[in-house]
Amino acid sequence: MSTPEAFQLSLGPLTGVAFGPDRTEVAISPNNNEVQIYKKAGETWDLQQTLSEHDKLITAISWAPQTNRIVTCSQDRNAYVWTHTAQGWKPALVLLRINRAATCVKWSPKEDKFAVGSGARTIAVCSFDEENNWWVSKHIKKPLRSTVLSIDWHPNNVLLAAGTAESKAYVFSAFIKNIDSKPEPTVWGERVPFGTICGEFSSPAGGWVHDVAFSPSGDILGFVAHDSSVNLVYPSSPGAPPQALISLRTSALPYLSLTFVSENTIVAAGHDCQPVLFSGDESGWAMSTSLDSKSAAGKPAAGGRVVSGSGGGPGRLNSDAFNAFKTADSRGQARPASSAGSASGGIEVGADGLLLTVHQNSITHIEAYEWGSGGSVSKVVTAGKDGRLVIWDVAGKK
Amino acid sequence: MAEYAFRKIDIDALDEDTLLREDLVEPDPRGPDGVLADAKRKSGEVRTAVAQNNIAGALAAILSDPPYGADVDEARALTISALQLILNSTRSSEIAATLKNLTPEQQDHLMSYLYKGMAGLGSKSGAGGEVSGSVLLTWHEKLTEVAGVGCIVRVMTDRRTL
Repeated sequence: MSTPEAFQLSLGPLTGVAFGPDRTEVAISPNNNEVQIYKKAGETWDLQQTLSEHDKLITAISWAPQTNRIVTCSQDRNAYVWTHTAQGWKPALVLLRINRAATCVKWSPKEDKFAVGSGARTIAVCSFDEENNWWVSKHIKKPLRSTVLSIDWHPNNVLLAAGTAESKAYVFSAFIKNIDSKPEPTVWGERVPFGTICGEFSSPAGGWVHDVAFSPSGDILGFVAHDSSVNLVYPSSPGAPPQALISLRTSALPYLSLTFVSENTIVAAGHDCQPVLFSGDESGWAMSTSLDSKSAAGKPAAGGRVVSGSGGGPGRLNSDAFNAFKTADSRGQARPASSAGSASGGIEVGADGLLLTVHQNSITHIEAYEWGSGGSVSKVVTAGKDGRLVIWDVAGKK
Repeated sequence: MAEYAFRKIDIDALDEDTLLREDLVEPDPRGPDGVLADAKRKSGEVRTAVAQNNIAGALAAILSDPPYGADVDEARALTISALQLILNSTRSSEIAATLKNLTPEQQDHLMSYLYKGMAGLGSKSGAGGEVSGSVLLTWHEKLTEVAGVGCIVRVMTDRRTL
């Protein structure tokens, strides 16, 4: 097993992560109103450019791989589409028409539209209006009653999944006339005018839904919720109850993000600070393994391996004295905790006061990073509140 | 702390279509009367099972479809007292084996009742009046070993309060 590559891009949380078309560039927001674009240079990531147009915290970033455009959304209720020109990235304002913060954004697979979830109980599906030369939005309002926390597109460019704070995951149609051609019938529905509800699923113990994801074929919907559950939905036919709704009540802390590696495997990560692989099919799913192998236990996980970005990180200051001060500051401990890991899913702390996992805080984002020859995902990337970006090998894991 | 005062403003005050706490919970399909009848029947079953020393059966019965929500106070009291009987009459060496046989859903419900018991410990007539803190803590420790911290998180998120 190759060791995960870890990069310290910021001292604080990363609040939006999106990779460029060839995966050597990444756009992140260091928990403020700016987007930073880093380029990979050998072993490090170097800051290339800072995009500042938003005036409040940026909540999500999405980068379209084919058309090379970035869309950012923020708590200032705006979204900007950034196009690359000879003078750098140029923003274009999107008319979102929402009265609360935008929480998540994602380009559709064909990159001709994107969806923005918001605290205004609305999903704004945005497309480009040629006549007026700007981005306009259409709203999905019903039956949303609370903040939309996550969205994901079906590969057919029409269906959209959303996870909400009312502990439900939905599948909607985001069909827009003049842009989309009539989609092929899927297991989710045949006729799908804009706003059709193609599915509505609850988490088992009332947890709000942190993240939703479609499988590569689009025939399975996965979602993770704050009740530590991992749920997978296999729809049967439109209007009928799903063929299988598998809810795993896991023993770990809640997962914040998930992504499909294949039709039978997902990777989920969250407050446990480590990505975990789940596998199964419609008869049942189970946790299989953690990507952060505990064989690293004993040596300070990642401590010595973390490569600082050009911004400089604690990697440079990773001395005993610094760590002692840091634990005293952040955990109120006069001395670093002894390496007594708590039982049953608790997070283990090493002798130096650092977690034994590579990530030192909750993982908030996970996505596929590299694909193998057969189109299967071979590497995934995670980012978290510790400001680290970590690339993990998943090829051949089940 | 003046700069945080804005956090207390009710921003939904002028919004007609706000999401209320009750909207997040679907009412029990059995209705208050059905729930009460169910609770009475199960409480009887538990007493018989405990008398026969069938702790596993008793626990499984009381933790399936427990009463939740408003208007089920009597059913809730019956269920809690039946559960307390089980908690008190299980030998601590048998707890772990008993817990492993429960479904994850039943484990979540049990955790919820344990916390409810702890909440009632201080008050004399409270829900935890008949069971001691050390018993609750023993069960809590064993249950956490079996079901993990996920179980505790689910007690906190579930709005179907038992």
